[in-house]
Amino acid sequence: MSTQASTAPAVAEPVATAESSARRTWREFRRNPLGLPAVVIVAVLVLVGLCAPLITAAPAGYGPDVLQAPSAAHWFGTDNLGRDIFAEVVWGTRASMLVAVCSSALAIALGVLVAVLGAYFRSLDTAIGTLVDLMLSLPVLPLMILIAALAGPSLPVTVAVIAAFSWPEVTRVVRSAALSVVGLPYMDAARVIGGGHAWIIRKHLLPAVAPVIVVSVVLTASRAVLSAAGLAFLGLSDPRSWSWGRILYEAQQSGAMSSAWWTTLFPSIAILALVVSATLMSIAYNDARNPRNHRR
Amino acid sequence: MRRRSFAALAATAFGAPAVGGALAGCAPSPRPGSRAAGATLTVATTTDVVNFNPLVGNSRTDYWITDLMYPRLLTIDDAGTKRPWLAREHGYRDARTGFYTIRDDARWSDGKPVTAADVAFTINAIKRDKPAGNTTYGQLTNVASAEATSDTEVLLHLSTPDATVVREVGFWMNVVPKHVYGTVGNVARFANTSDWVGCGPYTLVSAAKGKAYTLERTEPYPWAPGGTPSLARVVFRVYPDINTEILALRSGEVDLIANTLPPAQVDVLRHTDGITVRKVPGLGYAHLAYNMTHKPLDRLEVRQALAHAVDYAAIRRVVLQGQAVTTHSSPIPPVLHAYTDPPTTTEYRHDPAHARRLLTQAGYREDRHGRFGLSLRMIYSLQDAVTAQWASMVASDAAKAGITITLQGMDRNTYLAKTDAGDYDIYAGNFAIMDDPVTNMALTYLPDGAINYSKVDDPRLSELITTAQVTPDHDRQRELVRTAARLVRDNVYDNVVYMQNFYVAHRSEWTGFEARPSELLTVVDPASLARARRR
Amino acid sequence: MPTALRFAARRVARGLLTLWFAVTATFLLLRLLPGNPALAVANPNMTKHDQQLLLTQYGLDQPLIVQYGKYLWQLLHGNLGMSFTQQVPVSSVLLARLPWTLLLTGSALLVTVAIGVPLGVLAATRRGGVVDRLVQLGGVVGQSLFVPSVGIFLLFFFGLWLRALPIGGAYSPDASGAAWYGDVAAHLVLPCLSLMLLQIGSYVLTLRASLIDALGEDYCELARAKGLPNRTVVWKHALRNALLPTTTLVGLQLGFLVGGAVLTETIFAYPGIGRGIYEAVTQLDYPVLQGAFVLLAATVVVANMLTDLLYGVLDPRVRTA
Repeated sequence: MSTQASTAPAVAEPVATAESSARRTWREFRRNPLGLPAVVIVAVLVLVGLCAPLITAAPAGYGPDVLQAPSAAHWFGTDNLGRDIFAEVVWGTRASMLVAVCSSALAIALGVLVAVLGAYFRSLDTAIGTLVDLMLSLPVLPLMILIAALAGPSLPVTVAVIAAFSWPEVTRVVRSAALSVVGLPYMDAARVIGGGHAWIIRKHLLPAVAPVIVVSVVLTASRAVLSAAGLAFLGLSDPRSWSWGRILYEAQQSGAMSSAWWTTLFPSIAILALVVSATLMSIAYNDARNPRNHRR
Repeated sequence: MRRRSFAALAATAFGAPAVGGALAGCAPSPRPGSRAAGATLTVATTTDVVNFNPLVGNSRTDYWITDLMYPRLLTIDDAGTKRPWLAREHGYRDARTGFYTIRDDARWSDGKPVTAADVAFTINAIKRDKPAGNTTYGQLTNVASAEATSDTEVLLHLSTPDATVVREVGFWMNVVPKHVYGTVGNVARFANTSDWVGCGPYTLVSAAKGKAYTLERTEPYPWAPGGTPSLARVVFRVYPDINTEILALRSGEVDLIANTLPPAQVDVLRHTDGITVRKVPGLGYAHLAYNMTHKPLDRLEVRQALAHAVDYAAIRRVVLQGQAVTTHSSPIPPVLHAYTDPPTTTEYRHDPAHARRLLTQAGYREDRHGRFGLSLRMIYSLQDAVTAQWASMVASDAAKAGITITLQGMDRNTYLAKTDAGDYDIYAGNFAIMDDPVTNMALTYLPDGAINYSKVDDPRLSELITTAQVTPDHDRQRELVRTAARLVRDNVYDNVVYMQNFYVAHRSEWTGFEARPSELLTVVDPASLARARRR
Repeated sequence: MPTALRFAARRVARGLLTLWFAVTATFLLLRLLPGNPALAVANPNMTKHDQQLLLTQYGLDQPLIVQYGKYLWQLLHGNLGMSFTQQVPVSSVLLARLPWTLLLTGSALLVTVAIGVPLGVLAATRRGGVVDRLVQLGGVVGQSLFVPSVGIFLLFFFGLWLRALPIGGAYSPDASGAAWYGDVAAHLVLPCLSLMLLQIGSYVLTLRASLIDALGEDYCELARAKGLPNRTVVWKHALRNALLPTTTLVGLQLGFLVGGAVLTETIFAYPGIGRGIYEAVTQLDYPVLQGAFVLLAATVVVANMLTDLLYGVLDPRVRTA
């Protein structure tokens, strides 16, 4: 019953003007001064993650200079075992992004499926709505802590735990968008001309809610980065792979946060950059495609 | 309408803090005499108190606090030797009877004297009620009962001869007042959350869970100069994050950090104005245990190869920042000079080439990447920061010798569960206090020992240990122990990596602390805090 | 009115269902995932026999359905059980922490709404301009901050460098009398500030979006056409409707806040329920964990019921749904 106004669904437009709608969205997107820089930053981070081996060597097991401030030899300084923090941040981009992308993908897949089914098959809707509300009422972080602690810290557990608590929000948002589309005349028309359920869902419902899904993907992924970092900070992440959260965790455990500012600053900035850009990107996109925002 | 919605919103937002504030209780009233400068020592700790009953398993902070209230029969000196405390004398009347003769000048805070009846009661109550997590309970296996034959004499009636129980129980057990604990029925269920009766030097007067615990001076205290502990109050404050704790020390909000410093911070704090760093000798060791029930760890060459693949010096240098010493691969902490001077063992040499030779000898072949087909799982607790760090070093160094070690860091409970089930190839961990080699070896190397993580069952070793357990002659016992240590080292039944010395930090305006060995005692031991004072 | 009653009754039923769901989910999670409370308090000298005794003492050796039944029965009688490790009732454990959680959460909410609403209005009325972009950026940055890093920085800056605020804790042990309240407030500033930074973004953005929508509606056009000044149109007409989604947000956020402030509580040594849960997890103290989750679920239920009822009062359309 509640609405998330910032992601209010746009009314689906007739097929004939689909091309110009996309172009219009892009034009509006470009006009937003926060949108393009955000896309650039995200692109840079993705590139860093993909090309990590080309940028710097993997972080060593340990090194001679422990907790050294940033210098020419170590741009971001060294950590409590003498490892190069620049290398840690660069290579950490991979794990952090991987977790974000995977948990987001899982959450989206599940969330969209449930939402679409609920919107389309009204008989399931009340049950689904109740389940979503129940899940949304659970205290998320404490439960994530509980499960991660008991199931053991590893990448798959982190991804599963974050996805398990992210999908209800996705469902809630997509469902309200889907509900508004399902009632439209052209959906009835499609049924009348004999379209099967799967075909209607695939050809009409999904494209109509696609923009909402896109926004949801990005927002879920960015929140996943923060959740993963939070779990890592509490010692509940995979100790074998480097992630930004792990850099912060090691800094916290060794007491370095109180004396070596570089151990905290750089991974925190990385997290901030990714999350802020991803969020701004999706906000700009959402604003751009909503025709009500177009007039000035 | 708008006003109503705003009003409702405002009401909720105001209501919550108001309700919270009211529930948080009325402001506490001031304590008399506590404002005197230099009279209150504020101690920071990262772990919260779990319960106030020293007989039940508890956290480190519980231990520090209850130690200040309930006396022990024996204390320990820098060399790890047991020294008199509440018990002026201790020993054995015959093979099946131990005894303690206690002081007659100790008093509980309600005025009643501390007597042998309290000691006997404590021992019998532990045996009767089997409190969870009680260290002493396991030590009392051979004790049938305790008896107070006078106000100052306690007899331990043993079911079988046991040459170590008097010393062990004397050091590990806290004596509780019979007239308080005796009224509760089952001591294992006694929460002890108020109206504390303690012997001192300081006794709890208030406890705010998760926040602060306040103890006040208890007189007379026979172990303090002049019978009076030097401080009026001691306050323990909980800071879950060690970084916040360090900041609080630097700003002067706390005077002493009770938990030992992470190695990387010792040097930083040493060079910080206004802060003094004290060394606390260690009494335990960090080790790797190879599970001999898992093939191929039952083979000596494989264990030796693993031992030679570890770079012990690098671990001590990088992770421990030079704050650890070698035990020469012996399971006896070097601080126990009686057993370790002169050393009977030498540390395993870090020699990956030799490790490879050993593995080839054992029948393994290197593939074209230089890897042997040997893959092992190593478990460790993520809650133990230092171990977690050197565990990863061990794995990367093993790779250089062609051995693949898969790290399995896990939270403490899963770690304990897997340890219990023997579900690991290599176990990495540490023991905080290994104060009595005979008892410790019995637990670690006898086939049914509770901490026998390598699952060793060597008849020769078992015989050495069981003989030492019943030998009252100290010299003979020492020889047996040293031989056993050599046996352990040569057969790699245990790979002792280092013994860590600890450091604690306090503000420079405080002095008088006396460091006791191990991170369990440090400078918050009763003897130390009874003498601490502001300059 | 029967409609309103039915509405309220439905809400209460849903609330009870939520409570039951949270209780059962926690109960099952604790018993189905690996871990053994006996080992959490174990020490090297404990034999297998004694561990088994402990498990029996905790009632953990009985079949799942029996344990569940017992627990529900106890719960219905208002008994949350005894803590495994602390030997005291769970309710006393939670009650020691609850007031501080309420204080922190409540004040954070208050400050967030007090600052967030005007900022949202500002951004919506100056849409597309520099102020709007800055406010949006600020809101997004706020909710993307990593709490521990920010926390340590704030403590370092205000606590150590400026010596203006205390470092960690809820109050100083030696504060008393009237000064105690001031002391509590001083200790509250930084954690409250951290939480506010985290949350303000969603309030600002939600309000901004719904206000933009509302301002574009016909009734606002009409109001302007009637000659009403813009300020009246915004604050008296548009805001009334734009606040509705924000009201729902309060309910959602409250639930998150109460349990989700664990990172804040850890860094600032603030003794709230979030941190209490973390510690109960490390000790595998099942009763405390179950009790805490019941409490959290109850808070969320109450908060959501209040906001839904409020929403129903404000928006007549909802009541007929």
